[in-house]
Amino acid sequence: MAEGDPSTDMASATRIVGWQHPWIAYLSSAPAMIIVAVVLAFPVLFAAVQSLYDISPLSQESPFIGFGNYIDVFSEPSFWSSLWRTGIFVFGVIALGLTLSIIFAFALNRVVSGLRFIRGLAILPYIVSSVAAALMFRTMFNSEFGFPNQVLEFMGFGAVPWLSNGVYAMIVVIIAQVWTDLPLALLFILGGLQTIDDQLTEAALVDGATGLRSAIYISIPLIAPQITLATVWLSFKAVTSLGTVLALTGGGPGEATQLLTLEMVRLGFDEYETGTAMALVIIIFVLNAALTLFYLGLQRKFGTK
Amino acid sequence: MSVTHTSPNTTMTSLRRRSPPWYRKWLGGPLRQAMVWLPLAALVLWTMGPFLISLSVSFKQPAQVFADPGIIPAEPTLDAYARVIDRPGFQKALWNSIVIAFGSLILTLIVGVPAAYAFARFRFRGRHLLLLFSLLPMLAPKVGLMFPLFLLAVELGAFDSRLFLIFVFTGMLLPLAVWLLVGFFQAIPRELEEAAAVDGATQFATIRTVILPLAIPALITVAVLAFREAWNEFELVLALTQTADSRTLPYELFLMQDATGIADYPIQNAFALLTIVPLVLVYLRIERYVAEGLLSGAVK
Repeated sequence: MAEGDPSTDMASATRIVGWQHPWIAYLSSAPAMIIVAVVLAFPVLFAAVQSLYDISPLSQESPFIGFGNYIDVFSEPSFWSSLWRTGIFVFGVIALGLTLSIIFAFALNRVVSGLRFIRGLAILPYIVSSVAAALMFRTMFNSEFGFPNQVLEFMGFGAVPWLSNGVYAMIVVIIAQVWTDLPLALLFILGGLQTIDDQLTEAALVDGATGLRSAIYISIPLIAPQITLATVWLSFKAVTSLGTVLALTGGGPGEATQLLTLEMVRLGFDEYETGTAMALVIIIFVLNAALTLFYLGLQRKFGTK
Repeated sequence: MSVTHTSPNTTMTSLRRRSPPWYRKWLGGPLRQAMVWLPLAALVLWTMGPFLISLSVSFKQPAQVFADPGIIPAEPTLDAYARVIDRPGFQKALWNSIVIAFGSLILTLIVGVPAAYAFARFRFRGRHLLLLFSLLPMLAPKVGLMFPLFLLAVELGAFDSRLFLIFVFTGMLLPLAVWLLVGFFQAIPRELEEAAAVDGATQFATIRTVILPLAIPALITVAVLAFREAWNEFELVLALTQTADSRTLPYELFLMQDATGIADYPIQNAFALLTIVPLVLVYLRIERYVAEGLLSGAVK
C-alpha cells in the first residue's frame, strides 16, 4: 500500500467503519427482533388462529369451526351493547380531548416566558398509571364529598350521583380517560402550532381577522396533520382502554360502562371462553385499525396537503 | 376614533374595509389577555386538580373525609401513609415494581442499542422492516395481547414470573426505543466514526467511546420511557401474575380497592400518590428529554 495514498486510506477506513459483514447487523438486531416477535407479533397470529377453533378448558377436543366464534360474538346482544358503549366512549374521548388540547395548545403557544414550566406541568398525567388516575377520579367524583358536587351545591344545584348513574358514570370515565391521554395530544398540536410561520397569522390580523377567526381559518387548517395524529392517538387509547374503566367503575353501574375490552376480559378470564375471547381480540384489533385508516382518509379528503 | 387605532401599515387595507367593530379595542387589551390566561388557568386546574384533591384526602382520617370535605384538612395527619407503608402487600409490590422496572430498562437498552445501531448504519436485508417494527404496538395494542400472552405464559411455565414480565415489557417498549435511537444515531456524523477507525479504534471501541457518549440524551429518554412503561403497566400484570410474589404496584393498588371493605379513601389516595412520587422525582429532572423524546417518537 502506497504511503499517503488517500484513496486507499479512505477505502480501508470505510471498510472498517462500514463493517460490511451483514451477519453482524443480523446478529445485533436479532435479539430485539426475536423479543418483539414473541411479545407483539406472535400473540396476534396466535389469537387469529385460536379464534377459528372451539376452545374450552372443559373439553379436551377443540375442533376447527371456521368463523363460528365470530358468529357467536355477533349474535350476542351483549356484544352489540358493549360496541355501542365503546362507540360513545371513543367519540366522547375524541370530542373532549381534541377540544381541550386545541384550546390549551393555542394558549400555550402564546406563552412567552415559563413555557417549559407550564408544559412540564401539563405532561404530568402522562406519568400516572391508569389505576392511580382512576382512583383519584373516584375520590374526586364521590357524590358526598367530591369537589364537583361541592361546587354544584355551592351554586345551589343538587348533588349529582356521578358514579351510581349510568350516564354520569360514562361522563366520568370519559373525563378520566381524557385526563390520562391529553398530554401527548396536547404536545402534538402544540408542536404543530409552533411550526406555523408568524407572518401568516399576522397577515390575517392585518387583513382584519380577529384572533379567533385567524385561528379557525389559518392555524387549524395548517395543523390538520397534527390534529389527525392527536385524533388517532386519542381514539387508539380509548378503543383499547381497560385499566381506567376497570378501576373506576368496573363496567358499572349495572353495565353502563361495560366496554368491548371489559367484555373481552369477562369472556376470556371469567368464563374461560377462549375461542370467543380470541375472536373479540381480533375484532378489537380490526376496529382499531379501521378507525385509524378512517381518520387518515378524512385528513386526506379534507385536510391540506 | 378608528384612525387612532390604525397603525400606518394598515391604512391601505383599512380604506377598503368597514371601520373596525366596537369590540376591536377590547380584543387588543383585556379580552385578548383573558383569552390567553383563562385557558392557561383552566389547563393548570385541569391537570393539578385531581392531584390536589387526592393529596388533600390522603392527609385526612377516613371519617374526616366525609365530616370535613374542605380542601385543606382541619387536622392533617400522615396516618394513611403510615398504614400504606406498613402493608406487606405494598412493600412486596414496591420491591417487584423496582426489580421489574429496572430490569426492563436495562434489557431494553442492552437489546435496543445494538439493534438501533444496525438499523442506522448497516445496509442489510430486512432494514425496511423498521417501520413495520415501530408500528407494531399501534397495530397490536396491549389489551389484545393480554389473553394470548397469558396462554403463552401458562404454556411456557412462565405465568406469575417477574422475569417474564421484564421480557414482555421490553418487547412492548423496544419498537419505540429502537425508533428513537435510530433517529439519534443517524444524526451523528459518520465522519466521527471514520476518524476513530483511522486512529485504529475497533468498531466496538468506536461505539463505546464515540457513539454512546453522544447518544446519552436519547439513552436517558429511552430509559425513562421503559421505566415508566414497566412501573405503570396494569393490564398485562393483571393477565400475567397471580400472587403477591410478582405483582407490581398498580395491580396491588387495584386489589386494595376491594380489600379495604368500606372505601378507605385516605389510604387509597396515599397509595396512589406514593406510586406516582418516584416517577415525578425522576421526571422533574428530565422533563425536557421526555417531552422531546415523546414528540420525536411519535411525529417522525
